[in-house]
Amino acid sequence: MNTAGGRADPVEEYAATLAGALYGPARDKARLVEEVRDGLAETVTAYADEGMPRDEAARQAVLEFGSPAEIAPSCQRELAVAQARHTARAVGLAAPFLIACWYLLWSANPGQDWLLPRAAQQLAVHLAGVAGAAALLAAAMTAATGTLARRIPTPHRLPLAVAWAGTTASVAMAVAALALTVAALLATNWPLIALAGSLAAVSHAVVAASARACRQCARSTA
Amino acid sequence: MRVDAVRGHLDGLLLAVLEPGPLHGYAIIAAVQQRSGGALDLRTGTIYPALNRLERLGLLSSTWESVGERRRRCYALTEAGRGSLAGERTAWDEFTTAIGSVLNPAAPPRPAT
Repeated sequence: MNTAGGRADPVEEYAATLAGALYGPARDKARLVEEVRDGLAETVTAYADEGMPRDEAARQAVLEFGSPAEIAPSCQRELAVAQARHTARAVGLAAPFLIACWYLLWSANPGQDWLLPRAAQQLAVHLAGVAGAAALLAAAMTAATGTLARRIPTPHRLPLAVAWAGTTASVAMAVAALALTVAALLATNWPLIALAGSLAAVSHAVVAASARACRQCARSTA
Repeated sequence: MRVDAVRGHLDGLLLAVLEPGPLHGYAIIAAVQQRSGGALDLRTGTIYPALNRLERLGLLSSTWESVGERRRRCYALTEAGRGSLAGERTAWDEFTTAIGSVLNPAAPPRPAT
């Protein structure tokens, strides 16, 4: 945004620089940057109302606020935790849902081994174990960054741990999707298996994207 | 007062200025500066992520309020926040009593409240 004289508004410039330095969930990031921008704008207005020239008021306000480079690390830490909570929720919801789908598929026709080939069944058990462990870890991490954090300080590397738990879960989901696709090609009752494979693929896409964002946030915090 | 000295007590400062009632970000900054008589030299921009963190911990709640064409976030102390503030005050009293009795051994120790 430019002022009438063609020069950039220092408040908008500040907000844009800060936004460019931060990574995190779009909504949380927009809210944080909007709050900072409004606070800075109110500080500039307060100085201008005292009779200070606007340029001088903006310079003084930024001096008090801290430059974008000075306040970005504390903002980034909070956004990294917010992203970790998003990723943990994605894993915590997708993994149990998938395990429930696999269980239903498995038990849909008891006594009919042809529904899922033997190898695919064994692979499904292992993948369900990985997804289940990731879901439990995700639930623990959601609690550790919520009200539990009043008593136990949040470890600095927790967002990175969530990122890799999410990545592991997403890989398990991708392998499950692939295995179920192959199983669908081999099985006679393929529509149900293909549906389970599709659900695994969708879950993989959601969790993998969230885990990738979490890795980026964790790297930016380090 | 140095930024590093203030940083460890930022949560308590923010909770304390919100005790009388809800405030938005700029008013919180103004209240901290006013109560300290301008002695606290902190980068006021860091208050915003701290407010977000305190809300995540359930110590604050927040709502958007409209002021003309603009919106601003208004923060209020929760019951858990009031409890945390009481804890911060007790810890601070104990800390200053202990340090004071070492720095000024002649002065009688101030009882913790």
